[in-house]
Amino acid sequence: MHAFKTASPKVIRPSLRKGVFRLVGIVAALGSGPLVAQHVTPYVPDSPAVVLQRVPPATDPRVRRFEQLRTDAEAHPGNAQKAVVLAQAYIDFGRSTGDARYLGRAMAVIDPYMKAPSPPISAMLAHATIQQSRHAFAAARKELEQILRRAPDNAQAWLTVATVAMVQGDYRGANDACVHLANSGGDFMGMICTSSLRSLDGRAKQAYALLTLIEDPGPKAPATIRAWIESLMAETAARTGNVDVADAHFRRALQWTPGDNFLLADYGEFLLDHARPADALALVGNDTTSDTSFLIRVAAEVALKSPRAADDIAAMDERFAAMTQRGDHIFLREQATYLLHVRGKAAEALTLARQNWDVQRAPKDARIYLEAALALHDPAAAADVLDFIKESGMSDDTVNPLVTQAQAAIAVAQVKPLPSTTNGAARR
Amino acid sequence: MNTTRWLFMLCVALAAFAPSAWAHKESDAYLSLRTDRADDHRMHGQWDIALRDLDYAVGIDANHDGAITWGEVQAHRTAIESYALPRLTVKGDGLTCETTATGQAIDDHTDGAYAVILFDAVCDKNIPSRLTVVYTLMVDIDPYHRGIVTLHAGDRVAGAVLGPDRPQASLDLRTPDRWNEFTSFLNDGIWHIWTGTDHILFLLSLLLPAVLVMQPRSGPHVWRRRASVAESSGALMALNPIGATRVWHPVESFWPACLDVIKIVTAFSISHSITLSLAVLGIVHVPSRLVESGIALSVLVAAFNNVYPMVAKRVWLIAFAFGFIHGLGFASALTGLQLPPGAMAASLGGFSAGVEIGQEAIVLAFLPAAFAIRRTRFYQIGLLRWGSWTIVAIAAGWFIERVFEVSIPGFASILPN
Repeated sequence: MHAFKTASPKVIRPSLRKGVFRLVGIVAALGSGPLVAQHVTPYVPDSPAVVLQRVPPATDPRVRRFEQLRTDAEAHPGNAQKAVVLAQAYIDFGRSTGDARYLGRAMAVIDPYMKAPSPPISAMLAHATIQQSRHAFAAARKELEQILRRAPDNAQAWLTVATVAMVQGDYRGANDACVHLANSGGDFMGMICTSSLRSLDGRAKQAYALLTLIEDPGPKAPATIRAWIESLMAETAARTGNVDVADAHFRRALQWTPGDNFLLADYGEFLLDHARPADALALVGNDTTSDTSFLIRVAAEVALKSPRAADDIAAMDERFAAMTQRGDHIFLREQATYLLHVRGKAAEALTLARQNWDVQRAPKDARIYLEAALALHDPAAAADVLDFIKESGMSDDTVNPLVTQAQAAIAVAQVKPLPSTTNGAARR
Repeated sequence: MNTTRWLFMLCVALAAFAPSAWAHKESDAYLSLRTDRADDHRMHGQWDIALRDLDYAVGIDANHDGAITWGEVQAHRTAIESYALPRLTVKGDGLTCETTATGQAIDDHTDGAYAVILFDAVCDKNIPSRLTVVYTLMVDIDPYHRGIVTLHAGDRVAGAVLGPDRPQASLDLRTPDRWNEFTSFLNDGIWHIWTGTDHILFLLSLLLPAVLVMQPRSGPHVWRRRASVAESSGALMALNPIGATRVWHPVESFWPACLDVIKIVTAFSISHSITLSLAVLGIVHVPSRLVESGIALSVLVAAFNNVYPMVAKRVWLIAFAFGFIHGLGFASALTGLQLPPGAMAASLGGFSAGVEIGQEAIVLAFLPAAFAIRRTRFYQIGLLRWGSWTIVAIAAGWFIERVFEVSIPGFASILPN
């Protein structure tokens, strides 16, 4: 039996302390008393006609497909294949809408099949995909390795390993997976995999050239794949400072999959980076339900000194408090970025950026870590990142200047050390 | 590899590419429990569950237009409550408290509208000193659902995040108060026996013949010797209805009857106290189906003994033997009780004392009245014979229900026990 952790700091286990303090900090920032985000009081709506919540309507073909697949899976209990198809449909829907609830629904469908001593490969793949989507990268990779021991030529598993390895900053592992993928899945797959990798490890120009060769995957390719290639090209172009080219690719990607949540987030961040907050605001429009879109909106409003900014900051703080409350940490990078750039809380941002760095090591993760350390005038705090970049060859137009700045600051500090208190405070 | 195949594979793999964060956090529900200032047995609960989750679990958007209205939520109130409340167990010192919905409202959280279930958890058996919440909402449809639980006891506040890996959490509400434990379990013990029809019928079946004495039919009779031999040896005389050989005679004076009753009640108390203690302390565990069936059988045997006596002089033996199984039955009221040793002794002692008091009260009400009317045909034939037959019929019904775990249509409405 687990005992409740009480609100008194004295009895909080050390491992919990960090999280609780962070929550307290956020809530304190809001200026409200209670530890819990249940600040609202229940109410009774005025009329039965009041619309309280939007859900996907039955007219949505994807919802109808869920229904069919669910009926099919329920009619064939024990049929792993049907369960996997249903789970996959949930994952796809979750990805395109950005609603993480669908990962849980997919997991519930898969879970029973994972209890077997040797679960079906397809179920394991879906399971690993969900793990990966929830940023449980190490667990996902372990499962993928198990799959590949049983099915060494499973291209999907190799592709997922490559993806996970790239996010983890394990470029050697990713390269290995890309080679296996090319052997088992064909040249096209190999090229996509390799160009994604090279986009990261300092060869973005070559990667972009490679991507132009496969930009058109033929008339049979679904819109999601076209959008994905376009967004890959956009990111790769942006990484080399080709801003206009990147912008054009982002817009083309959005034509293929309008409203795709991840794409909106990436493009929105790109626009903010390039001093186009008005465009960023116009992009995410009035979609206040998506947390990622709302983040873009808040940052854009702050940049534009919009009168709505104060209210939206308060709302965003509450959203982060609610996320922190459940104890998952799949939003660390975004939260760190928000704390640093919107809330001006560099120390808290650095703590989160460091936690995030333990999990994922994409250029964006390196960037916020460096930014937070530099904001605290403690570039040595980001030594992990600098070492990684040196070793891996990671290069990105938004990261490289930070690296130079940090290295210069460290060189100066070695000549004349900073007061130890500053270092100590930031390190803790 | 053909085109369609890699396209499919890419689609699948694309799902894995989640380059940035998700638009919506995963599913959470918010549960708070607050002790009542005036009633130590009662807690007030508020449970906020996302309408999106409820729509997935029980279907709220009745017209499938993609917009959940307050009217639709109201229309599904029963469905929502009967889905959620069984997936929450509130325990006071290990004893399950009864949860009842008291109201419905809406709460707006950062990620959408939530249905609010207002409920009371009543721990009527005791004043809980340690509160435990077992949370299993949506465990089978979304393993990433989390119940964010906050407990308020006076000025103590505690919180926990519950999910499949950690479904339960506890909070000490107050230091166990031994006297309070004793009195509240005393009360519970009394009510347990007064509302336990099977225990009462068992006791009454044993007590009914106490104001009578069985004597051979007057006059020489061929059966006489055989009957007395059979009885003294305790042999079964099932084929030999008492009317044929022996008859009940009213006792002449009160005290022999009283002594008889004292023997029966004491024997019953001794044996049921033993098993009650052993079971509550977790030393013995007998499946409840076996216990409940055994109790039904005991009632059947006790009542049957009045019409076809197998044991007439030493009825206390029946009381003693079946007392063991009744003790296990009493213990079911305290199943799971967890308290520190001192408070445990107090509550167990209180409950046992309550059972005794409840039992003595029945005896005290019964004995003088029975003694007064013992000579009447109403008592001898109406109550003893036909009353016993009625009890036999009821007990047989229970026995069948409990052994085979079936319910006999209409039976429960006559006798709920």
